[in-house]
Amino acid sequence: MLKVRLIPVMTFNGISLVKTKQFASSRTVGNPIQVARVYNSRNVDELVFIDIKASEQNRKINLSLVKKVIDECFMPVTIGGGIKTFEDINDLLRIGADKVLIKTMALEDPDFIVKAVEYFGSQCISIAVDVIFENGEYWIHQKNNDKLLMEIFIDKMNQCNVGELVISAVHNDGMMMGYDYNLYQKVTQLTSKPVVAVGGAGTPSHFIQLMQTDYNGALAAASIYHFTQFTPQEVKTTLKNAQIPVRI
Amino acid sequence: MVVIIDYGMGNLASVLKAVNSLKIEAIITSDKKEIQDASLIILPGVGSFEQGIKNLKERGLIELLNEEVIQKKKPFLGICLGMQLIMEQGNEPKPCRGLGWIKGKVEAIQNTRLPVPHLGWNKTYQPKEKNQEDTLSNNFYFIHSFHVIPDEEVKCTYVDYEFTMVASIQKKNIFATQFHPEKSQEAGLSLLKTYIDSNA
Repeated sequence: MLKVRLIPVMTFNGISLVKTKQFASSRTVGNPIQVARVYNSRNVDELVFIDIKASEQNRKINLSLVKKVIDECFMPVTIGGGIKTFEDINDLLRIGADKVLIKTMALEDPDFIVKAVEYFGSQCISIAVDVIFENGEYWIHQKNNDKLLMEIFIDKMNQCNVGELVISAVHNDGMMMGYDYNLYQKVTQLTSKPVVAVGGAGTPSHFIQLMQTDYNGALAAASIYHFTQFTPQEVKTTLKNAQIPVRI
Repeated sequence: MVVIIDYGMGNLASVLKAVNSLKIEAIITSDKKEIQDASLIILPGVGSFEQGIKNLKERGLIELLNEEVIQKKKPFLGICLGMQLIMEQGNEPKPCRGLGWIKGKVEAIQNTRLPVPHLGWNKTYQPKEKNQEDTLSNNFYFIHSFHVIPDEEVKCTYVDYEFTMVASIQKKNIFATQFHPEKSQEAGLSLLKTYIDSNA
């Protein structure tokens, strides 16, 4: 039986690892290489590393630093931040990234995603779907405040045949009050692609609550590992005790 | 010396890193002499079957691999696409001849309930021993949309994902895994070490 994937998310601002609240007011949480080493030793199932400022600051991701992060990992690693060209994707795959996480280009130029899937294979193209809940609807969170319904964007990404959707609830980011359970139930009906849920986990029971819905994707989180005593291993043990299949 | 075949298909750096972490010397190469001198050949790979065969052909590697693995019986390890390519026939994106070292074909996973690709950690097992854990029966990382269907008696391990698929295959000096040992932490490193130590 396929195990539920437990995935820590590392967000980097170009200088250090940070943890945001609702995608703002960030707090520094340490050195990415040391943190990656700890996660590898905790047997996490995958790792996601995102340079959250690369696109905004219109710069490339720091490849030599990312390589050092990847070198600590003997599990699959997804890297995101400022990816705009095939060369950017190639650079990341060459230093050992297994998947790349793309947001801005998926919104601006879906044709780029179609071509990237054809060229690199869908297995390595993940899409970041950052959503915000407003006026009873889920919208894609965009810097320019354009209005785009999540359903429409997910449908477009389904058609692009991407490998995976990483769905962050911006309103729950860093709040540690639990996942947005309605959001992920809804997403389960919108796509047959593998999904990763991010945003809101603060205790091991939040992971269990999400798995007790129809959702059957991966469980990602950041704050719980930075700010509480719970390690990924402890979260897995709790999941296992709740009869949820995990790799211990 | 272990060689990792460079044919422009995927995650060679990860395989090299995993092998080096075991204190085993390895190189990434498509050089004829280096492959001839190798004690063990690893064929990794991520991508489509047809492109994989095309890239091997362009680099003159098909004959060379046949010579080394089939005639000289050099130990061989295929990973993911590197496992699929040793079958007679692939279908990605359309029917295409493979290396043909093992009879059988490679077909798309056609699930009705669970998502494709088969992505994540799953437990492999040997026939009739579902719960046993050993080097070959463990939780490994899979990411694939196609699976191999052998058409001859070969030693296999299996994995369940809506239906039962082949997870690894062994025939004489040829061993291949659908999963990625280089991405499977302790379980994967231990499998790589065991295979290389006892064959190279």
